Amino acid sequence: MRRKQRAASGQGGESGSIFASRARPVYFNVLARKRYRGLTCALTAASFLALAESGALAGEATLQGRSAAQPSYEQLLEKLDRMEARMRALESELHRKGEADANHGSKARAAATRGKAANGTAEASTAAGAPESQQSATVEPPPPGKRTPGEVSRLYEAPGFLGARETTLLEAPRPADTGLFGAAPSPVPGLVIGAYGEFAFGALQNPAANGQWQTGFDTTRLVLTPSYLFNDNIIFNSEIEWEHGGIATDADDKLTGEINIEQAWVDFRITPYFNIRAPGIDLVPIDWLNLYHEPTRYYSVLRPELNRGLIPSTWRAPAASIWGQLIEGVNYQFQVNSALEDFGGGPITDARTPLPFPIGYNPGITGIAAVRAARAPIGSFRQLSNYLGYIFRLSYAPTFLPGFDGGTSVYFTPSTTPRGAYSQLNGAPLGRSSLTILETDFRYHVPDTGLEFRGEFADILIGNPANLRVNNDLDPFNNVGKSLWGASGEVAYHLPLSPFFGPILGSNWEAVPFYRYTYQNFQTGGFAGTDLNFPVGFGRTQFHVAGIAVFPTPELVLKLNYLRAIDAAPGGINSNSVLGGLGFYF
Amino acid sequence: MDGWIRWGAPAAAIAVAFPAYAYQYSTVGAAQQQAFPGARFEEIQPQRVWKALVGGRVTGYFFVDHVIGKHLYIDYSVALGADGRVRRVEILTYRESYGFEVANAGWLAQFTGKSSGSALAVGQDIRNISGATLSSRHVTEGVKRILAYYATRLR
Repeated sequence: MRRKQRAASGQGGESGSIFASRARPVYFNVLARKRYRGLTCALTAASFLALAESGALAGEATLQGRSAAQPSYEQLLEKLDRMEARMRALESELHRKGEADANHGSKARAAATRGKAANGTAEASTAAGAPESQQSATVEPPPPGKRTPGEVSRLYEAPGFLGARETTLLEAPRPADTGLFGAAPSPVPGLVIGAYGEFAFGALQNPAANGQWQTGFDTTRLVLTPSYLFNDNIIFNSEIEWEHGGIATDADDKLTGEINIEQAWVDFRITPYFNIRAPGIDLVPIDWLNLYHEPTRYYSVLRPELNRGLIPSTWRAPAASIWGQLIEGVNYQFQVNSALEDFGGGPITDARTPLPFPIGYNPGITGIAAVRAARAPIGSFRQLSNYLGYIFRLSYAPTFLPGFDGGTSVYFTPSTTPRGAYSQLNGAPLGRSSLTILETDFRYHVPDTGLEFRGEFADILIGNPANLRVNNDLDPFNNVGKSLWGASGEVAYHLPLSPFFGPILGSNWEAVPFYRYTYQNFQTGGFAGTDLNFPVGFGRTQFHVAGIAVFPTPELVLKLNYLRAIDAAPGGINSNSVLGGLGFYF
Repeated sequence: MDGWIRWGAPAAAIAVAFPAYAYQYSTVGAAQQQAFPGARFEEIQPQRVWKALVGGRVTGYFFVDHVIGKHLYIDYSVALGADGRVRRVEILTYRESYGFEVANAGWLAQFTGKSSGSALAVGQDIRNISGATLSSRHVTEGVKRILAYYATRLR
């Protein structure tokens, strides 16, 4: 096709580009006359298709172009329009390179002719079903002689409102710009690394020291969140966490934290209504705060009390799920994971059981810490039972109540009893005990005000308390009944500070004073087991937390709060605290 | 075998019925037609800005843009009327696993009627989505940027 052009233009030595400046004016001037109209159209179509080849190569990686299915007429038309747009963009570049005034009139006619010919080609190649809007997507050519070259080029190249190079970004939608902590380009296309973390410091009462007030500092956590886009349908997401500053390498070291994989999973995005998350380490979808646990999502320094034992945030497990949207505003997730196990950590035998009677082992479910210690291990095949847990969660943001969103979850496992479980009284084996969790939560931000309400309720139902280790470990004070439950309510007010102070340090600050009340009862009735049972009341706790969280930006928060803890035990819980904190999430 | 069919058939039916990519809620052409039914579109800037014409008269402008969600891009479109007010905001493509509540029609309806003089701040005139704080903030900033672009360049 390019050879035909060269022959027609009579200049064999020219490059194949039809934008060769010297050849064009003569070519189109002569051939624009009436009797050469047909030849003009044919040659223009040929050159258009030739350019379309190179244009297609450049603009190939578009959303439509990558569809594996047979492209529809609409898609073909859109493709043709894009090629035409590229032609015009290149032409405007030429204009800017300073064409002579004398040639400008013929160029304008050439644009008109080429535009009409291209349109003719498009119309000829499609059926009547082509949508109206696509057929005449040309810019009206300026009448010859009426505009200067500068004006013409300005019409064709309106500046991009995100910068000149942004015009090509939609054709290659890979997040290459700010993949490294949101600040710098990522070293590997498709790889994005973010982070979040928090610190806490202040004064706490130490219950083990009779309630003595002690000050301290905790590097609560620092989490890296690498994620990678394999392609547009397969995404890898992970969180790697350093808690409490790191881990010790020997017994004398002062570090007592942990490094762990908090999340690592691959998502197969199929449709908005059905997606598959392959087996990996995933968050259990049992509570909004378990899913969204970054420090900028809650206002207190420490995570809300209900989420520290009853729903042990961050609760993650080896898991696989299906998830998606049911109807607008309602999302679902169904997950299968390694079940909670009634084993509180410590050495295990090679047969993957707790150490045998009479050595003893710690329970996973207790009247003090609920199920915090019962989360399944994620490494080295150390899970102590073959049981699985099943969770279903519905999250909803109803359109009839703007500002409200909530969720409800149900968890069930047939048994939490590990293999080789036994009573510490006589070594008798413990049988199965199912566990069900019912949970519901909500957040309501009253529209057009700064007022926000949050609430949460969770209830753990034990199938057979007689088979729980905590009821058979010779400790009469920490036993558990048929249920453990808790509820909390929180009120907060979002106060933007910029009306008073204007932007401080370059951003608009927001202060959120809040108050939260939590009630928990881990030692209800229904106890059964070989222990004696003297619940002294520390299973029934109330927490009052009042404080303020200040957000310099939504990604950074400074916190200060006072926590008052009350329990029904005679000596009191002795766990009040005044803490400050800093958290970030980017 | 029975179990496979019982669970696999509906899943396969869903996957076949929706051959488009999961997160692609709408195409540019479909969004254009939804915002300006029956209009024809002239490109002002290739693939980014269109003028909508009905019977030769300009009825509005149509913008396609993208913003970052948390890590990945969200493609969205903003349709402005001839008076410069937002007619419709639509999410074209949402790629991340969390935060797709920004695509809910109820949330996007908040933008209808906004102009370049509106505050357009999450927490003030735009509701926050508690599970999609970053996406909702970035989409709001994107719409604000497009309104500013319109006010300074096209009006």
